[in-house]
Amino acid sequence: MDEPPLTASIDLKGRRILVVDDDRINLRIITGILRSEGYEISEAVSGEQALELYAESRPNLVLLDVMMPGIDGFETCRIIKRTYKATSAPVVFITAKSEADDVVMGFDAGGVDYLTKPFRPKEVLARIRTHLCNQLLVEQLSKANAAKDRFLGMCAHDLRNPLSSIRGLAELMNENTIGPLNQEQREVVHTIQGASQSMLQLVNELLDVATIEAGYLKLAKEPTPIGDIVERSVHLNNIEAAKKDTRIVMAEGPENPVINVDRNKIRQVIDNLITNAVKYSPRSSVITVKLLSEPTVAGFAVRDDGPGIPEDERHLLFKEYGRLSSRPTGGEKSTGLGLAICRKIVEAHGGTIGVLNNADRGCEFAVRLPRLR
Amino acid sequence: MNFSGSILLVDDEAHIRKFISLLLRHLGMRNIFEAKNGVEALEVFQRERPDLVMLDVNMPVLDGIQTLRELKRIDPDCVVIMLTSLVNRQTIDEASAYGAANYIRKDAPFEEIGRTLSETIEEFVEPRRSDKGGGAG
Repeated sequence: MDEPPLTASIDLKGRRILVVDDDRINLRIITGILRSEGYEISEAVSGEQALELYAESRPNLVLLDVMMPGIDGFETCRIIKRTYKATSAPVVFITAKSEADDVVMGFDAGGVDYLTKPFRPKEVLARIRTHLCNQLLVEQLSKANAAKDRFLGMCAHDLRNPLSSIRGLAELMNENTIGPLNQEQREVVHTIQGASQSMLQLVNELLDVATIEAGYLKLAKEPTPIGDIVERSVHLNNIEAAKKDTRIVMAEGPENPVINVDRNKIRQVIDNLITNAVKYSPRSSVITVKLLSEPTVAGFAVRDDGPGIPEDERHLLFKEYGRLSSRPTGGEKSTGLGLAICRKIVEAHGGTIGVLNNADRGCEFAVRLPRLR
Repeated sequence: MNFSGSILLVDDEAHIRKFISLLLRHLGMRNIFEAKNGVEALEVFQRERPDLVMLDVNMPVLDGIQTLRELKRIDPDCVVIMLTSLVNRQTIDEASAYGAANYIRKDAPFEEIGRTLSETIEEFVEPRRSDKGGGAG
């Protein structure tokens, strides 16, 4: 025998249904059937009364007759959808109007289903069960998602400070601030420093994602000479790159375009592109960074010596946790979040981020941001 | 860094105080006072009159911004650098409106922390110290 569908085990007893019909006999029959299933029912005999009761009982589903004196079912549905928007309950029409046009109108008004009278009780119950399940699952999903964002944000916040301290203290020990270390002690401290560094980065990226997901990405834009930010990032990253005998060079650019951006966020994007380039290029590579200046957009491009982006993995590139098959060449860590964050930051600026494989090898990431108007 | 003045370090988290004070020592500063909350910071400030205050933003009881306002009430010219764990534009703007000289991210690279410190000292602290006839050692 086939396994029952997953939704069959969902308990829907006590879910609230608002039933609306101006014909009291119809109303009694329908509510009787629904009550036998354990639903909680409120009844209305007109569109106006339905709207009042909706506000009071916030039902999980509305079963709505179409032809009623006063505002009809279609209009009632439109008002509910307009008022409660994304949080509004699914509306199922139940009516004697069975022309194809009527059905289409019902869906246009925002209904999720359309039942015609005379109805078959089993069909009504089955359809209502399906819509209630969907509604319940969406409700639970959005609650769980909000909880996840809160949890991530909280974790990241509370983990950051201690991690900064651990990393900083290890670094200070390594610099003999509290006395000289022997070779073995130095190795241990170096390991602590490296491990806390990659953990801090992971936490920072998780926090970024949580912030962005929760819709808290606020940009503090100011006119910024983009070349200054890029040059600074090239300079700082060269220190780390030297460990892989890799050089990051600025290509000759015509000018230093000034654009309206959140400089901390854009700094994060260029940093990320450069560290990725270093990470995925073989030792002793040259990474080229150049400024882009076009009539309506300006930005920067980072060209690496890595393996390029395989065509069949391209769709994963800017997705969260979308790690590709290519691995860092110096044992570095990757969270799979960096480029997803870059994309969100760039798009929040109204810009674009893209990547092209070079003809010979490696690829070039380009960020284009709208110019000042 | 060639600076013989005194610094008051305020943070409610002991590990941060340990870390920043070691870092300050590493940068060549010897004259460091510590306080673990805003109230204690005001007491130490009144008593020691440090040349520079490094002030955490997020603290219980009296938070960084409130402490900054009190410090400025005691000495409108005192030099304060805010210590932040995140760059929150709003907090930074607020602190700068109340007269903070600069801010430092606790997880910034050492060079960056050192640079911000020396820039702030050069721009705000040294002129005051030479006015008072102290001068850098």
